[in-house]
Amino acid sequence: MIGRPANILPPEAVPIRLEIASGGARFGAQALDILITFGGLFLLFWALIWANVLDWSMLATLFFLLVFLIRVPYYILSELVWNGRTIGKRIVRIKVISADGQRLTPHQIVARNLMKEVEVFMPATTLLSGSFQSGWVGLALTLWMILVLCVPLFNKRRQRLGDMIAGTLVVDQPTAVLLPDLAATQSTAGVGFVFQPEQLDVYGRFELQTLEQILRNRPKTEEQRQRVSDVVHTIRRKIKFEEDVAARDEWDFLTDFYRQQREFLESRHLFGDTREDKFHKTGS
Amino acid sequence: MQPDAKNDDLIRSARFRAEREEGWRRLEQLVAQAEKSGMAALGYDDAVALASLYRQAMNSLSVARSISMDKALLDYLEALCARAYLVVYAPQESVTGVLQRLFTHGIPQAVRRSTTALIIGFLAMVLGGFVGFMLYQQDTSWFFTFVPSGLSDGRVPGASEAYLRSTLFEDGGRDGERLGTFATFLFSHNTRIAIFIFALGIFATLPSFVLTFYNGLILGAFYAMFHEAGLGYELFGWLSIHGVTELSAICLAAAGGAQLGLAVILPGNMTRREALRERGRDAVKLVILAGLMLIAAAIIEGFLRQLVQTTQMRLLIGWGIGAAWLAWLLLAGRDTVGQDT
Repeated sequence: MIGRPANILPPEAVPIRLEIASGGARFGAQALDILITFGGLFLLFWALIWANVLDWSMLATLFFLLVFLIRVPYYILSELVWNGRTIGKRIVRIKVISADGQRLTPHQIVARNLMKEVEVFMPATTLLSGSFQSGWVGLALTLWMILVLCVPLFNKRRQRLGDMIAGTLVVDQPTAVLLPDLAATQSTAGVGFVFQPEQLDVYGRFELQTLEQILRNRPKTEEQRQRVSDVVHTIRRKIKFEEDVAARDEWDFLTDFYRQQREFLESRHLFGDTREDKFHKTGS
Repeated sequence: MQPDAKNDDLIRSARFRAEREEGWRRLEQLVAQAEKSGMAALGYDDAVALASLYRQAMNSLSVARSISMDKALLDYLEALCARAYLVVYAPQESVTGVLQRLFTHGIPQAVRRSTTALIIGFLAMVLGGFVGFMLYQQDTSWFFTFVPSGLSDGRVPGASEAYLRSTLFEDGGRDGERLGTFATFLFSHNTRIAIFIFALGIFATLPSFVLTFYNGLILGAFYAMFHEAGLGYELFGWLSIHGVTELSAICLAAAGGAQLGLAVILPGNMTRREALRERGRDAVKLVILAGLMLIAAAIIEGFLRQLVQTTQMRLLIGWGIGAAWLAWLLLAGRDTVGQDT
């Protein structure tokens, strides 16, 4: 699914963008949690019965207690302890946050997980067990349960009913990778192309950042080299760059152009002349 | 600040990055550490550094958005700040603090604020009981309609008075351990029902109301049957000892559901989503209270009901505990400090 941004305004008042977790990730986390809790319970009791250390009434007590605990309380406790993540959510790398940008409160965690009983467990157990009532009532109930399960798919921020009550969102854990600064690391040792202001006047931010994408990968095959060469030709034609560019200098040409174009655009931007793309002159 | 010679020939935004990169790397490292093993694992210096580095990174992001066209840098800072934000603004209340506030102020205040919902919750049960009683009076076969056969356990219309009496006054030969199992079962089962009743309330209150009403119907029919056998008073005692707490808890859960339902039906000037969030605060506290009362009720039902065999004592204990709940809910948290969590 396509990512949907959630703009959060932290108390520092600098808006930051997080990606709303996809329906698949949500479903996966939930399935994993169920698998882990119920599977763990099953294994524990299998071991206990096999080891034969507890008598039946103790076993029954433990069983009733655990069956209760691995439903709503497990989710509340784990999200409290791990800051909005259950084990399943940790594995698929998503997490619960407060939609208002403040910190997640215990109230929100309790509220969103109490609703799990009707939103997840009831429909899941009924639909999976196949114990439908016959007739219109059964059909209506089934339809209704499917609808409840699908609520997160139908709203823009993929909130469950519990999320709406608690005011929470589930987002992807952001991963930060800092790539090297092209303008700093790749200063040319060779020819050194110089561009005139009117040549830098052509492009805008969009083209600059597209060029940045191209420069992130040095060409390795002949085909890629050919593509870089095409880019160079196009740029030369557009900005009316008359000098010849030798084949081995093409990469340096692009790097130099990127650097000077960026400097030019950034300084225009500081003077209040922001150029989003190459149509900045026609004003569309 | 004198920019050093190495950075001198860089363009402005690259210089901006070169000057701050070290701090970002350090922040990234601290955030990774905190994400992995929690804030508590950070030392004092690290925790202080995290807070100030976070603010610096936020500042950098804000500046970078206005001066830099380096997409990679913007993406990185955006992700770094988001990650750091999630760590810095993690819930940090201590569990004891939260619980204390909940008990001294949160729950009693929430209950006092939810009059309408409480009326709906209790009305559902009382109406159900009344209707069940009246219908049984008209035609005893209604009993079989209301009461699932698993629940009645031989206690059906026409059963002998002696048998009915024996179900009220015998400990079923259960020893302490078995009683413990029974109590745990009751607690786990009833609490799930309560959460269920609560959560269904979001569908316009109706399902919560119907479920509670149905509980009332069963109760009414049962009472009518024992009443017919001349055991009304004894049944009342048998039910009172735990029922005052347990049935109130079910009604409270229904009231919590009603809070959600009311937010959906009557959102007032707010959007439904806002209304749900607003009312959800009190609703959740009602359910927590219900859960708490169900634990108490399970202990009473599991142990005390079998151990206390006279109706007077049963009445005294049951209604005494009920009065204690009421006193707590009405009197606690009257001062204004500690409003809400």
